[in-house]
Amino acid sequence: MSSPFSINGGAAVAMVGKDCVAIACDLRLGLQSLTVSNNFPKIFQYGDVFLGLTGLATDVSTVSDLFRYKVNMYRLREERDIAPSTFAHLVSSSLYEKRFGPYFVSPVVAGLDAKTGKPFICGFDSIGCIDFAKDFIVSGTATEQLFGMCESLWEPDMTPDQLFETISQALLNAVDRDALSGWGAHVYIIEKDKVTKRLLKGRQD
Amino acid sequence: MADRYSFSLTTFSPSCLYLGPFNTLRSGKLVQIEYALNAVNQGVTALGIKATNGIVLATEKKSSSPLADPTSLSKISLITPNIGMVYSGMGPDYRVLVDRARKVSHTGYKRVYNEYPPTRILVQDVARVMQEATQSGGVRPYGVSLLIAGWDEGILPEEEEEKEKEAQGGESEEKKPSGKTGGILKGGPMLYQVDPSGSYFPWKATAIGKSATTAKTFLEKRYTEGLELEDAVHIALLTLKETIEGEMSGDTIEIGIVGPPAHHLLGVEGVEGAKGPRFRKLTPQEIEDYLTNL
Amino acid sequence: MAMFSQNPIMNGPNYSFSDTPKVNAPEGARQHRFDPYTDNGGSTLAIAGKDFTIMAGDTRLTSGYSINSRYHPKVFKIGGTTADQKDASIVLSVVGFAADGEALKERLDAICKMYRYRHGKAMSVKACAQRLSTILYQKRFFPYYTYAILGGLDEEGNGAVYSYDPVGSYEREQCRAGGAAASLIMPFLDNQVNFKNQYVPGSGEGHALQERPRNPLSRTEVEILVKDAFDGAVERHIEVGDGLQMMVITKDGIEEILLPLKRD
Repeated sequence: MSSPFSINGGAAVAMVGKDCVAIACDLRLGLQSLTVSNNFPKIFQYGDVFLGLTGLATDVSTVSDLFRYKVNMYRLREERDIAPSTFAHLVSSSLYEKRFGPYFVSPVVAGLDAKTGKPFICGFDSIGCIDFAKDFIVSGTATEQLFGMCESLWEPDMTPDQLFETISQALLNAVDRDALSGWGAHVYIIEKDKVTKRLLKGRQD
Repeated sequence: MADRYSFSLTTFSPSCLYLGPFNTLRSGKLVQIEYALNAVNQGVTALGIKATNGIVLATEKKSSSPLADPTSLSKISLITPNIGMVYSGMGPDYRVLVDRARKVSHTGYKRVYNEYPPTRILVQDVARVMQEATQSGGVRPYGVSLLIAGWDEGILPEEEEEKEKEAQGGESEEKKPSGKTGGILKGGPMLYQVDPSGSYFPWKATAIGKSATTAKTFLEKRYTEGLELEDAVHIALLTLKETIEGEMSGDTIEIGIVGPPAHHLLGVEGVEGAKGPRFRKLTPQEIEDYLTNL
Repeated sequence: MAMFSQNPIMNGPNYSFSDTPKVNAPEGARQHRFDPYTDNGGSTLAIAGKDFTIMAGDTRLTSGYSINSRYHPKVFKIGGTTADQKDASIVLSVVGFAADGEALKERLDAICKMYRYRHGKAMSVKACAQRLSTILYQKRFFPYYTYAILGGLDEEGNGAVYSYDPVGSYEREQCRAGGAAASLIMPFLDNQVNFKNQYVPGSGEGHALQERPRNPLSRTEVEILVKDAFDGAVERHIEVGDGLQMMVITKDGIEEILLPLKRD
């Protein structure tokens, strides 16, 4: 319980569909068993790339701001938007920079490659080791529950609508079995030139 | 004091008032940089020509003595697999800049993004190194001008044209992946010149060094839009022929090209997604072949 | 280490005998201690249907990162008249410390047999469930390190599942997952058996939403669900795999099914 990763609680998940990706997070912010806020989103948008951050809430805020700064600087310098895979390596190198005093976060990246339109998702440990997955990435205090849900619900080549249903059911049912996550959710469905953001109410307990 | 100790510092001075002993300047110019440009303008001519499908860099490999071994001399260098550069001016300064360029393309880019920098980013990084030498204490400006040639991944000019045609013809209102802050995704061949002051210029074709003016006049005449790489190599050799002092051969000419990925230089086969370097130097034999067809 | 990995497996030793250096002891001196518990991994699952109950468990037995056996059953028939239990009507699954599980099974089986001799009839699941709770609680201060699930048919012939913690706290449920991959399987069961978070499309917004009605699942549906649940668990948990043992309890008796699981 004193692990920095599980003080505030929270969950995030990303999934690949056919020509689309989805990323979702819960909204809880807690202090151990006490829920402090039910509106603490953990997904951040940088251009066409999405970053999910779970772990220590103060680091979630700090790291999300840090990457907003870094992505803005990239865009000004290079006069182009950062690609999801490039952003993933930026996350990796930025986290490894703090190898011996890490941010206590478990990031998830999702997006479509602007040039090829290919879905891209990946996850990281807190010191930047990248997990390139072809199906789904989970993170947060409901990791085990999410693994169980995703492993049984996910299937290849889902349409945006199917993907929304799958990621939502995976997240909602996972957080309902984790005391530290839940209290509503944000779901982003990312298609070639459309992003749909939905708020899920979920159980409020 | 001033006549006994000299120190290296590039400074402005009130114009024309005083012709200082070392670094002061007349009429808003920094004399140290003027000196550096003088070094460049006495250097061996180097040129670059951009084609639709690549770039050629060429220079003369002048040896001071018939006893020198020209095979060990190299003036065109690879910086990243897709970027190469050539210089005119002081050789030792150039070597330092090659080292810095290679280093900065890794520490400042590849180690961060796990990909090599686009040409303009590398050019800006090298230009910054050169600019810092004009504003720091204890150093002198680099006595070289550089030609940096590279290939950027992204949408090629002709692909973009096709897309525009499609957009005009078709009624689809699909949003193009347009740049939010300008020319994003712009790919293809890129050619830049960097000067000792740290200023840089994009070119279609240019030359630096002793016979830069002559060469540029020649290039203006010979350059056409829609040039192919093979033609560009041809023109490069013709231009060099105008300015060269010695004889032209595979041992006295150096050519670097940015072209299609050179898979034979990869060293491995069957690795998925592995691409050969686009920048490579032509062998003396290849140069000889071009020369015989001249 | 655990701080970075967030991996519960790394917390604490996975072996029965710890060989820890003694504090404030001269160089080379060691304190030897017997640790009576081992976690032997594995996972169990039980789902009650309308007129049947399915009890399932994988057959892998692990210790730390080692696989000690690829076929070590965790699901047992209880209270038959003979050693082969062919007339049994109750099934017990145990997961956790295999030795304790084995001991608990023997104990409950013996008690069920004694009950049959004394009363001249088989024990009901309800009675057996209560008895199992007392057995566990009797060892409140040196517990059987097992997560038990008891399954059978109740007096009305409906499927019945009772789940336990190691010290005998128990509850009758529609379904339950136990053991190493419980946290992976349980939310899946909530969703697919009890239809949690599923609503009737277009039935309203917010509190007006109608929950999807719970209709009892058929036997084939449940069998597929069990296999899917374990396939998912096997994929992500190293302590689960090798074989899937299923006991299907109906009024006609207990049918045992053995299916292969991934062995990596």
